[in-house]
Amino acid sequence: MITVKGLHKSFDGNHVLKGVDITIKKGEKVVVIGPSGSGKSTFLRCLNLLEQPTQGEIWFESSNITDPKTNIDKVRQKMGMVFQHFNLFPHLTVKKNITLAPVKLGLQTQEEADTNAMHLLERIGLADKADSYPNMLSGGQKQRIAIVRALAMNPEVILFDEPTSALDPEMVGEVLELMKELAKEGMTMVVVTHEMGFAREVATRMLFMDEGIIMEQNNPQEFFSNPQNPRLKDFLTKVL
Amino acid sequence: MEFLQNISQDFYKNIVAQQRYLFFWNGLKATIAMALIAIVIGVPIGMIIALIKNSAKENKKLRWAEIICNLYVNLIRGTPVVLQLMIIYYIIFRSSNISSILVGGLAFGINSGAYVSEIVRGGIESIDKGQMEAGRSLGFNRSQTMRMIILPQAIKNILPSLGNEFIMLIKETSVAGYIGILDITKASDIVASRIYNYFFPLTVAACIYLVLTLGLSKLIRILERRMAKSDNR
Repeated sequence: MITVKGLHKSFDGNHVLKGVDITIKKGEKVVVIGPSGSGKSTFLRCLNLLEQPTQGEIWFESSNITDPKTNIDKVRQKMGMVFQHFNLFPHLTVKKNITLAPVKLGLQTQEEADTNAMHLLERIGLADKADSYPNMLSGGQKQRIAIVRALAMNPEVILFDEPTSALDPEMVGEVLELMKELAKEGMTMVVVTHEMGFAREVATRMLFMDEGIIMEQNNPQEFFSNPQNPRLKDFLTKVL
Repeated sequence: MEFLQNISQDFYKNIVAQQRYLFFWNGLKATIAMALIAIVIGVPIGMIIALIKNSAKENKKLRWAEIICNLYVNLIRGTPVVLQLMIIYYIIFRSSNISSILVGGLAFGINSGAYVSEIVRGGIESIDKGQMEAGRSLGFNRSQTMRMIILPQAIKNILPSLGNEFIMLIKETSVAGYIGILDITKASDIVASRIYNYFFPLTVAACIYLVLTLGLSKLIRILERRMAKSDNR
């Protein structure tokens, strides 16, 4: 579904990604870990072109999204993204946050989108917050609504950029729980995270990034119990 | 008692006699007309410039538009408004018959646009860049995100400074006398020179400006409160 070929990214001479190649198939749950500054968030943000790659190609389904002729806005409708800092729209109610994109992009009528939003909110137990504004919610509630906002577009894949890193510890669980449910339902997911327990349980493939490249990738069992790369060994002893 | 009588006599002589209040009335109308024209011209100019400057950060094709905008803003902010007014009236519109109030409003609008653009730009930049990213990641293009997500939030932030700019604008129109417009200030000057007494006419003029600006700031505050209510911040 997503194919990345020779991806490089520099910020003002700072070479962050130094040649990333990977293919992600439909239904896969790829979890990316690595020390801070390893380029894992940049890699994720390149996948939907929030960062413009300096070099290399990214293919999503049959389109080369790094080609300037590709309509990236159309592609992004199929690639959801969940941010570390939620990025809900503070001037809109929860329901409006969820329905804005599907309605304004002409995918659903307001009624369809409203019904759909209420279904999604009921599912996460926040139907009573439909008319609240984001600033009245807890971090965990905000992030779950951000996930639902991405879901409302019926994406093919959802990219998670450290979705629990900005949360108070007692709220991490509820967000991970929702992500696990999505995984079970077969959603294709690429997750940058520090939650090793979640990774072990949900991932179909683990990636270890450091110094701008994928240093090691494997299924979670092998990855955690039998790491090959000394840097990964070192990293795992620190975080586990 | 005598003192009060003197004052009321003076007031009568200065303001009421020979319908001198009409000077002030007409002056008030001219001042308000110019300020309104200036706002109607200045706000769109400011908006457009702010948006061009903001888009130019990503879109290299707008490089030239940005240079022109910067030139305009620097030119306006770096020269006195009286001079701009006179240049527009005596040089640009020299041989036309357009009403001087219209020209005045235009000049003040062009002037105000430069300041408004900086206010709007600041407002846009005050919005967390995650908002743009969230909008883009949902599939909105840049201008849709700007219109539906960034600007509605930015407007709340810029309203106080924008209100301030409007107050400045009302006061700045007081130099309109330089191109022969009879605004409040000029009216008080004329009345004063007719009766050889400056105290009353100038005080009255000052009071009129005060009422205008205080009323405006009150209005802006009400608007701010109403907007704050809408998102429970």
